[in-house]
Amino acid sequence: MYEFLQYQVRDAMTANPIAIGPDTKLREVEELFENHDFNGVPVVDGERRLLGILTKFDLLKAFTLDSHLLVPHYDEIMEKSAEAVMTRNPVSVTPQLPLSRLLQKLVEMRTKSLPVAEDGRLVGIVAREDVLKALRRATIKHEIPVHADEPQ
Amino acid sequence: MTTLLFTHPVCLEHDTGFGHPECPARLTAVLNTLRTSPFAALEWREAPAATLEQLARIHPQDHIEHLLAQVPKQGQYALDGDTILSPRSGEAALHSAGAACAAVDAIIKREASNAFCATRPPGHHAEPKQAMGFCLFANAAIAAAHARAVHGLQRVAVIDFDVHHGNGTQAAFEHDPAYFYISTHQAHIYPGTGRSEECGVGNILNVPLLAGSGSADLRLVWERDIAPALREFQPQLILISAGFDAHYMDPLAELNFNEDDYTWLTQQILQVAAECCEGRVVSLLEGGYSIPALTSSVAAHVRALIEAPKAAQRSLIKNILQRQKARRAAGQG
Repeated sequence: MYEFLQYQVRDAMTANPIAIGPDTKLREVEELFENHDFNGVPVVDGERRLLGILTKFDLLKAFTLDSHLLVPHYDEIMEKSAEAVMTRNPVSVTPQLPLSRLLQKLVEMRTKSLPVAEDGRLVGIVAREDVLKALRRATIKHEIPVHADEPQ
Repeated sequence: MTTLLFTHPVCLEHDTGFGHPECPARLTAVLNTLRTSPFAALEWREAPAATLEQLARIHPQDHIEHLLAQVPKQGQYALDGDTILSPRSGEAALHSAGAACAAVDAIIKREASNAFCATRPPGHHAEPKQAMGFCLFANAAIAAAHARAVHGLQRVAVIDFDVHHGNGTQAAFEHDPAYFYISTHQAHIYPGTGRSEECGVGNILNVPLLAGSGSADLRLVWERDIAPALREFQPQLILISAGFDAHYMDPLAELNFNEDDYTWLTQQILQVAAECCEGRVVSLLEGGYSIPALTSSVAAHVRALIEAPKAAQRSLIKNILQRQKARRAAGQG
């Protein structure tokens, strides 16, 4: 468990994750969720600057009842852009954040994953499963080196 | 007048076992930094071992003997899930407490303006009858009691900015108004004590901070709560329980202090010391578990300690000039 304290977000995250542009239609996002085991997908501009995050929860939220129509129209809503339903200015973490701090954050926010950004640019995504895997790895001595990108 | 640096090689031989966050590498990194040229003004001294008399002012003698008897001849012995003894842990703990007492002696004899004790194990969780939380003897409390008993001081303050509450120091002081214990720490983490309602005989000031608190929160509580209370107490000596695990990169907590905050806080403490007790400050290393963050934070802290006399002189000159100016203005009016 002590080894876990030495891990940083970059040791557990998925680097260069799939991301979508703000104009992506919700239909395509739904497909993405269908084909991958994602809970959410980061929304970036052409230079991979992090604009938002779009989760399954945001997608569900697009179908909640409102004052606009008695019954939400599936096709109409699926034609909306990611930008319309995404969570803007999402909480992100740096690759250098101690993983123990990320664990605390995920629990406190009850969130499933967080985008990893450096200078505003998306560099990774880190999810509950990654932290669980790191906890397991930390207790199997020396299986995978810490900070794999640095000389030991 | 300079800043003294107390340490002892045996502090590096307190071996807490593979991967333990309170590891010898922390102190090695700190000492390596303090050996570099920006810290050339430090006067290094070897820390003596604390005497039984010094320890016994805080810890009952049978507890001291029992603790030292648990030190293993080889391998490791776990006092609890966090607190590990190795063959040289007893000696390291004695030199850690001894450093604090020797630093107090030197500062009261005016051999230097202030002192930093770079030792381990740390001390602020060690209660009079219970070693815990990586701590064996209550170094800060022992040093404060030493200042009272040997040098006849009437009022000693301990300021503890480690991210964890110093339950041990609090337990040692809570019935004695000659001591004032002030702690900033993250609420709801280890050891679970340090609620603001815990105020001893009016001589304990606990300032718990919520996870995520940082520079602005620190400045707010210092100016609103801590500085006025400390000035009112008029300490004759200030001890600092200097843990650096409130740093934003520390893996064991979630406060967000940075190096500049440690510089600022140290300067604030020194300022009060200059006003109340001729700048007498003795700082003791407590926690801090990200080695790069610990090293840069200790550097910021010690740099401020070294620069204290210069800063105090500047503020003295400024005060004199201001008073002269006021007098002249009054004369003219």
